[in-house]
Amino acid sequence: MYGGGYIPAGVEETKAQAESPELLAQFEARITRGEKIEPRDWMPAVYRKQLIRMIEQHAHSEIIGALPEGTWITRAPGFRRKLALMAKVQDEVGHAQLLYSAAETLGKKREDMLNDLINGKSKYSNVFNYPAETWADVAVIGFLIDAAAIVNQVANSKGSYGPYCRALERICYEESFHLKQGHSVFVWLATGTPMQREMLQNALNRWWEPIMHFFGPSDTMSQHTETLMRWKVKMATNDVMRQQFLNIYVPKIWDLGLSLPDPELRKDESTGQWLFTEPNWDTFFKVINGDGPCSRERLAVRKVAEERGAWVRAALRRADARYATPLA
Amino acid sequence: MPILSLDPRVNRLQVEQVPEHQPPVLVPGDHWPSYQVFHQRRRGEKHSSVGIVHAPSLEMAMAMAKEQFGRRGETSNLWVVCTADVLEMDYADEEVFRTTPSKSYRDPAGYKVNEKIDAYKAKQTP
Amino acid sequence: MTNQPLPTAPLARYLLHLADDQLVMGHRNSEWTGLGPILEEDIAFSSIAQDQVGHALAFYEYLNQECGLADPDQTAFNRPESLMVSSWLVEQPIGDYAFSLVRHWCYDQAVYLRYESLSQIQDPALQALATKLRGEVKYHTFHANTWMKSLLQGSEESRLRMLTALKEVWPMALGLFESWSGEKALMEQVGHAGQPWYPGERHLQQHWQAGALESLVLWSVDVEALGLHKVEPVLGGRQGYHSEHLASMLEEMTAVFRLDPQAEW
Repeated sequence: MYGGGYIPAGVEETKAQAESPELLAQFEARITRGEKIEPRDWMPAVYRKQLIRMIEQHAHSEIIGALPEGTWITRAPGFRRKLALMAKVQDEVGHAQLLYSAAETLGKKREDMLNDLINGKSKYSNVFNYPAETWADVAVIGFLIDAAAIVNQVANSKGSYGPYCRALERICYEESFHLKQGHSVFVWLATGTPMQREMLQNALNRWWEPIMHFFGPSDTMSQHTETLMRWKVKMATNDVMRQQFLNIYVPKIWDLGLSLPDPELRKDESTGQWLFTEPNWDTFFKVINGDGPCSRERLAVRKVAEERGAWVRAALRRADARYATPLA
Repeated sequence: MPILSLDPRVNRLQVEQVPEHQPPVLVPGDHWPSYQVFHQRRRGEKHSSVGIVHAPSLEMAMAMAKEQFGRRGETSNLWVVCTADVLEMDYADEEVFRTTPSKSYRDPAGYKVNEKIDAYKAKQTP
Repeated sequence: MTNQPLPTAPLARYLLHLADDQLVMGHRNSEWTGLGPILEEDIAFSSIAQDQVGHALAFYEYLNQECGLADPDQTAFNRPESLMVSSWLVEQPIGDYAFSLVRHWCYDQAVYLRYESLSQIQDPALQALATKLRGEVKYHTFHANTWMKSLLQGSEESRLRMLTALKEVWPMALGLFESWSGEKALMEQVGHAGQPWYPGERHLQQHWQAGALESLVLWSVDVEALGLHKVEPVLGGRQGYHSEHLASMLEEMTAVFRLDPQAEW
């Protein structure tokens, strides 16, 4: 699963021009024709940089995303839920593996990416910096965060970089299982005992703001992304994706008689657009900068996992190992 | 002091906060080299490239590939090969293939005889 | 199941040993998911954990349908520790990766032998089930062997860690083969080929030990120096006596389920 909330740095197109106007023209023509860019093609340095940054953030979001739901892995109630949650969290790790591989094709090693994650240099989706307090949080994450991730990933899977698109194709397929299992837990709680329903409503209330933050700030607040959109790095605006999400999922929540903690939330039938209270974007930026409720824990856990595995990896490292950039 | 987590597994790990200036936890080569994985769905079908795994040996690459690329759907067989052993053609040389599709004399579609036969038949009919 | 006595029919009791072991082992192994030593291994080990929980479910389903036990969720998530018949080996905390791997290696070889034997049973449903599940365990043993071999022959540190884990695991691994009350009766049951299908715990243990020691010698482990030949097995699990770790594990595993054991989750 992935969060948008991805904030690209402004792209200085003039730099790409300066590298080679001729190659740049060929590169852009290829993208315009709908062809994919492959790892060893010529590409503007900024395109490479932005892609690494984006795919790496996506990979980090998967590996860190395994933690909030992992919170409940030893406590999932009953066989069906236990097996499903194990498989789902495993998939998150699997997605991280696929995405790190895609990023590696652009020339950044997995070790460097993980180091940058642990030391806080590189970001991941904000949404995973929130705690999963009860079993109902598993339902909300599995259903709504995965749903939001699908909106984002389906858009990105039509982007211009071949290895990223191929990884996303498989990821989207697996995410549809996640969404189904999340929806199933969600529906079971919503239609269960009063205690189960209350648990779910509370979780929904807690997660609504992080969910509204998920696609990132409104486009009017974001930096210039025209070049990234022309290069098919960014495929849809934050607002468009948020609207898509609200349009599909808010009715499904209301259908079950649950409420959302925003009195302004409604669809404007004349424009087809959803109206809502702007979430607090100061909170969003605070969390992105490492000050979320679980930010420190998430990084510390990742660090300990890598450290505890260090002897295993070191024992099998060979001086004559031949590293080559993966072909993906 | 260890971080107090909602995850009982994390509490058992006794996790400490990452210090402000954290030196790299992973050293170069830490995650081993990569192996390309080829997957065959059913007997009789061809193996297709599906991705990579990082592993310390061919045997371990196979053990890892089995679950990363064979945990859903059907699988009949897998190949793994060290990425460093693969020679890839440069995309910049893609033009060497540019004229190939137009070499109709290599394709069945390049041989159309029906018009000739029809014309011949038409001539034979009185 | 809380107040339901343990099944007395030998076959049901034997299957409950298998099911409880698989459930507890799968649960323990799942604790590594997301925290494994490298991404690829995290995925592989999680699959093994899932297989084990899945096998437990398959046996509980059989016990429910054919032997009158409560449904699988009640049997697994609503039973006191004293009625659990899993072995001490599986309930131990995950330890370092060496401990988890050595346990996995010992455990899955034993499971493989049990499934081989079970696939000789007369009951076609169980026969088919054992044959099907054996395929998954074949991968488990391939995975375990690859790791054992690699880390025993890896660095000085990895070899030391693996040997330390072996010493710790071995007595509990022997305890997997604890004799039990219905054993004799089950040994007399005739399988589909007209021969007894279940050779008894002593025989299974000898078979397991011979295979395991052979591999260890192949990987240059001095099993005598390690003292593996003279350890006493850790027993009690099959009679409901457990180490302090099972109760806390069960408390955690059933924490949500117990909020309302009759609710649908």
